Amino acid sequence: MIVLDNVTKSYGGFRVLNGCSATIRRGEVVVICGPSGSGKSTLIKCVNALEPFEGGQIVVDGMAVRSSDVSLQALRAKAGMVFQSFELFSHLTILDNVMLSPRLVQKRPAQSVREESMRLLERVGLAQHAMKYPIALSGGQQQRVAIARALAMRPSIMLFDEPTSALDPEMVGEVLAVMGELAREGMTMMCVTHEMGFARQVADRILFVDRGEIVDDCSSRDFFAGRCSPRAQAFLSSAC
Amino acid sequence: MQVWNWHGFFTYLTSPYIFRGALVTLWMTFAAMVFGCLLGLALAVMKRSRHRALSVPARFYVWLFRGTPLLVQLVVIYAGLPKLDIRLSVTACAVIGLSLNEAAYLAEIIRAGLNAVPPGQIAAARALGMDEWQISSRIAFPQAFRLIIPPLGNSVNGLLKTTSVTSVISMEELMQRSQILVQDQFMVLELFSVAALYYLFMTTAWDFLQRRIERRAERPYRRLSSAGGAGLPPDLAAASRDAR
Ligand SMILES: Nc1ncnc2c1ncn2[C@@H]1O[C@H](COP(=O)(O)OP(=O)(O)OP(=O)(O)O)[C@@H](O)[C@H]1O
Ligand SMILES: [Mg+2]
Repeated sequence: MIVLDNVTKSYGGFRVLNGCSATIRRGEVVVICGPSGSGKSTLIKCVNALEPFEGGQIVVDGMAVRSSDVSLQALRAKAGMVFQSFELFSHLTILDNVMLSPRLVQKRPAQSVREESMRLLERVGLAQHAMKYPIALSGGQQQRVAIARALAMRPSIMLFDEPTSALDPEMVGEVLAVMGELAREGMTMMCVTHEMGFARQVADRILFVDRGEIVDDCSSRDFFAGRCSPRAQAFLSSAC
Repeated sequence: MQVWNWHGFFTYLTSPYIFRGALVTLWMTFAAMVFGCLLGLALAVMKRSRHRALSVPARFYVWLFRGTPLLVQLVVIYAGLPKLDIRLSVTACAVIGLSLNEAAYLAEIIRAGLNAVPPGQIAAARALGMDEWQISSRIAFPQAFRLIIPPLGNSVNGLLKTTSVTSVISMEELMQRSQILVQDQFMVLELFSVAALYYLFMTTAWDFLQRRIERRAERPYRRLSSAGGAGLPPDLAAASRDAR
């Protein structure tokens, strides 16, 4: 479970996040959308402390993000993250990409990590590419590896920052399929995306962010039925 | 006096005295490169630091050692340290001088390499829970290494020849020994040609070695490449067969 309570952040004098509050329950899939530069990336990066924030509080599974007795490592193990441009480690094979952090950070035994990593790669349909390097894979394949790599840490929530925005159109589907499956299996997900089809089908809730504020927080049914703010309606009509 | 003395030339070419001088050149290059890399790495990390207490001294160091001739640095170390009651051998002074000087240049090379590591991968590593040391040692340095092999190789090549400057503090390397022989036998051209051949041989051997290292490091970055099925443990080979 993730609780955002009045989160505030500025770059210099510029307010990026302005009193953002929301609660994401276990197993819930929340899609975050909004215009470019509205603070979506910043918001989810605050959840795993990739971005510091000044005001308010974020609690992830009972761990307060900024408290000194919560280790960053423990927090980040709970919250897996997938980036827009994959960010696979280019000097490591696909399998090593997936295995590195469970081995290095969680110090789990090599044999079991290897087996679990292979199972994850199979799950995203890429086991036969385990020994290749990232550059040999297409964007869609790399993004699926990135998802497997995040899952290898056994996170309880997953954060996605525009996971399909850097992909060629024909590869978007394969990545969304993996995400959809993850959602059906009950993973708690916060997902920044412009894929409104995905949001409509998979999301339980939509957070509409504009100028650093969560303007709408409603069920995806209400959102797509137009029971949302005028700003969100304007965004929707331009996005779809 | 003859113009060119073939007998003298071959005598020098096979002279153990000159050969051992070349070995000294070789190991001085090696030692200065190792120490220079270690110090250069520290300087590069310091220079990139957000803390001015680290970055300013590093910047000062690089400025000082890149802004003055190696010859001057060697003489200052050789003649200056005894005044502080620190007595070191000529060899120690030569290696220290070369290392300190090389570190300044290597620091810049290593820094550029670290800057070129994609910041997104660093963020991904952070998101996976790695601490700064793990990120440096497992993600940043290995990738920076690949990028800096070519300029690093250039430095080795340069250093092989730059070691000759240590003759100014009478370090008995290849150049100094050639000069010693010139002084009592006057066959300048023959001796220096032999020295040139030795340098050529060493730099050529290094070129060859560097290309091999480069090819190895580039392997992950070629599109049609894989670590090869040979390294695949049996269970994985089976797993990937199943998946297919
Ligand atoms: N390091 C930074 N320094 C200053 N301003 C920043 C920085 N990073 C982001 N910003 C600003 O903060 C605002 C929010 O950025 P953010 O990346 O969170 O937006 P976003 O909603 O994810 O946009 P996009 O859809 O383009 O990804 C933007 O106006 C951006 O210009
Ligand atoms: Mg963004």
